[in-house]
Amino acid sequence: MADAVAVTSQIRKRKSVGQPLPQIDSAEKVKGLTQYLQDLSVPGMLYGAIVRSAIPHGLIREIDTSRAERLSGVRAVITARDCPGVLFGPQEPQDWEILCRNKVRYIGDEVAAVAAISPDVAKEAAALVRVEYQELPAVYDPFEALKPGAPVLWEQHPDNVAYRFHIERGDLEAGFARADDVFEHDFYTGRFYHGQMEPMGCIVQYHADGGYTIWTPTHLPFRSRMTYSKGLGVSMDKIRIVVPPFGGSFGMKYELNINCIAALLSKKSRRPVKIFFEREEDIGAGHPRMGLHFHYRLGVTRDGRFVAKEARVVGTGGARTFWTPPVLSTACYRIDSLYHFQNVRTEGFLVYTNQSPATCFRGFGNAEALTALETFIDEIGERTGIDPVELRRMNGVKAGDVSLHGWRIASCGLRECLDRAESVSGFRNRKPPPKIPPRRGVVRGIGLAAGHHISGNRIIINEYDGASAQVRLGFDGQVAVIVGEPDIGQGMNTVFAQIAAEVLDVDPASVRSLPIDTLVSPHGVGTLGSRGTTVAGRAVQLAAEDARTKLVSLAAELLGVPPQEIRLQSGSAVVASGGGSLSMAELGREYATRYGGAFLIGHGHFTPPTEIPDATKYGNLSTSYVFGTHVAEVEVDTETGATRVVRYWALHDSGTIINPSTATGQVHGGVAQGIASALLEEVLVKDGRVTNPNFLDYRIPGFQDIPEMYVEFVETKDPYGPFGAKSIGESSLNPTAAAVCNAIYNAVGVRVHQTPVTPERLWKLLETARTEARKKE
Amino acid sequence: MRIRIDLNGREVEADTVPHRSLASFLRNELGLTGTKLSCEVGECGSCTVLLDGRPVTSCLVPVAQADGRSVQTIEGLGINTQMHPLQEAFVGQNAVQCGFCIPGMIMAAKALLDRKPDASSEDVRLILSGNLCRCTGYQKIVEAVVIAAREVQRNG
Ligand code: FES
Ligand code: FES
Repeated sequence: MADAVAVTSQIRKRKSVGQPLPQIDSAEKVKGLTQYLQDLSVPGMLYGAIVRSAIPHGLIREIDTSRAERLSGVRAVITARDCPGVLFGPQEPQDWEILCRNKVRYIGDEVAAVAAISPDVAKEAAALVRVEYQELPAVYDPFEALKPGAPVLWEQHPDNVAYRFHIERGDLEAGFARADDVFEHDFYTGRFYHGQMEPMGCIVQYHADGGYTIWTPTHLPFRSRMTYSKGLGVSMDKIRIVVPPFGGSFGMKYELNINCIAALLSKKSRRPVKIFFEREEDIGAGHPRMGLHFHYRLGVTRDGRFVAKEARVVGTGGARTFWTPPVLSTACYRIDSLYHFQNVRTEGFLVYTNQSPATCFRGFGNAEALTALETFIDEIGERTGIDPVELRRMNGVKAGDVSLHGWRIASCGLRECLDRAESVSGFRNRKPPPKIPPRRGVVRGIGLAAGHHISGNRIIINEYDGASAQVRLGFDGQVAVIVGEPDIGQGMNTVFAQIAAEVLDVDPASVRSLPIDTLVSPHGVGTLGSRGTTVAGRAVQLAAEDARTKLVSLAAELLGVPPQEIRLQSGSAVVASGGGSLSMAELGREYATRYGGAFLIGHGHFTPPTEIPDATKYGNLSTSYVFGTHVAEVEVDTETGATRVVRYWALHDSGTIINPSTATGQVHGGVAQGIASALLEEVLVKDGRVTNPNFLDYRIPGFQDIPEMYVEFVETKDPYGPFGAKSIGESSLNPTAAAVCNAIYNAVGVRVHQTPVTPERLWKLLETARTEARKKE
Repeated sequence: MRIRIDLNGREVEADTVPHRSLASFLRNELGLTGTKLSCEVGECGSCTVLLDGRPVTSCLVPVAQADGRSVQTIEGLGINTQMHPLQEAFVGQNAVQCGFCIPGMIMAAKALLDRKPDASSEDVRLILSGNLCRCTGYQKIVEAVVIAAREVQRNG
């Protein structure tokens, strides 16, 4: 276990790409100098607080803001009357209001807001706003909400279905007719909170031209302007977004209504306004990963071929729509690019319920689908007597395959991951599970799960896909990378620096990545859909190549040799045959001298081989595809049901690894979150109220909960990403929960159908199994 | 009230309200924002500083309690561009992702190494268990602290 990082590719003659370099901005971070949003203030800044609904569902009868307005130190109070009144939002259906007009739909719904000279005064004022409601019956369970006669959240959606997904390919009935066995499986993945260490927040300043500057750590600074511009009723170019360093997000900080609330407070008070959540608000009124119910029917032939799959997926979306529609779609059909199911039909329902709106989380629905599917495959293996790893090999996609829905898999290391996982973990020699769960003692078990993900996903902005970048040479010879995709804490800037450094042969530690500001940065679709390294990284590579061409021709001219004679080497341009060289600083200054003080800038843009899916949802959705296999070993206390992961192996195909150290860190973090989702964490909601909205009751894993892990990269050659690199951030998490659940089965012989597998839940399953066994005796 | 503390080796005197938390005093009155606030209920360790050399969650400590005592924060670690071995090791091992938990993590680790310079990885996992990190899965943090321990020991 000790030597946990191995890159199985042969050593290449590369200087930067493939090196385990430190994150370029971590020196600032370890000194406490990094200024996160929490640390930022703007002169004259006020503090905002939100008045939230105290009831899960009801009509607003009256809002009395007079006492709040009279409180000393209050500078603005706003209600729906101050809002433009359009429905808007990041996805269809658009159902955001900024502040509720007629109706509240969850405990925490935003009814009014205040801005004051301190956070304490703002809080006090918010508490003075009186809201009278006429309560309505509420509904929390998505299956209840789907029944006729259930309380209706939005009259435009009388069936409470916010979004419906349907896909069909092949001939399902014929597929099932060919099957020798048909298996069924249900799984529920619980509501899970991002737990990013820095809560959500923003600072917004209103400008005389009617526009706004928003300081907020967002994955999609450019795209989110579309949402805010509609909500605020100003053109997109009047919204400037500046992205400070992230204190974590994992999907939480995509697009948030608080930006609009702070904007209107700033407009009314004519002062910049900061809204920054306390943890309780971040959990209680925040936007977790939604709960998802899966029902699968799978037809399998005697020799283990999958021939038909029918699925029904139901998501508990909450009261409004954030990024849940594409999460639901993903949960419905992305797995069809991991295995060939041949004939499929999937129905998905995103259901309105009286809870805070859910949004996306790392893994984007695919982690949840894989939890359901990979536990199912484990069970099918058991029931057919075919080794479950063999089932995966037999049905899994290969390089060159086109999936049922037209997704083109250019590179695929699934089999290599499965093989290596089996051999490094000892999974092949596992003991069979006990027939009856033991009555006492701690037992061990081992479980395996495969997974995959996209790498550079399309349909974030409909019209186009891709990324653009600039690589700029300063007068001191320093290289700067300028992109529109923010580093979300995972080390993106370092990866960009290594890519540019490789192309230009400069020291990667000297390369900077400029902060993102939509006023000046090149356009970027965003850091989501596992597109950072693959798509933006490729644009950086192309921009660096353009800069290299310019540098070489300048150097050739200055040194009086043809361009073919010039090599970029260790920070200089040298004549290959000897006799002259110029440093980057000399070249930067010379360029400026010739061109009116201009910087030498290389431009690059990358248009990936993705397609807009047709009406049947056919079309290649991602630049590349990544694969992995995880093995978990657990210890289960059979008397209490308490489960701990004690050993862990993670094998990944993420193409060429640009930085093995940060990539390994991504795996460690993804697995830790996966273990949390499998065993520990769930946002508990009773009668619409979150009952564990703090880190005492919502326990995220600590040092003692996460084992040491073995991480290995099985490098494949991908034609699209920079130097053949693919993504790792999301795929690192995807197989984890299934591997843990399968290990629990191997330990105690009981199948779980719900995460998190809390001690109480597992203990009940163990007791049931033991009682049944006793009855049979 | 007027309080006086030895802050990172320098005498600091200031007027403040006694119920204010030490974290808020450091951040809002002294402008030392290296100390982070995450849970504000003593459960995450992001706000860890050393009070008379012992780690405390400064979100829960009333500033009055620091009166007349020494307080060490992340800003006091390392001299100018030179980093403390813990900071070096956290950078070198990539034990830092978003970095939000890191100041508190490093201060807690410093208290550990001050007390137990030969800390093993088991010690780190046990004694730092009050510090939460959502990004790293902890493994690289453990490695970094153990490497720093070796470095501290080597240099006496
Ligand atoms: S902020 Fe003090 S312990 Fe979490
Ligand atoms: S590095 Fe992000 S919380 Fe620890």
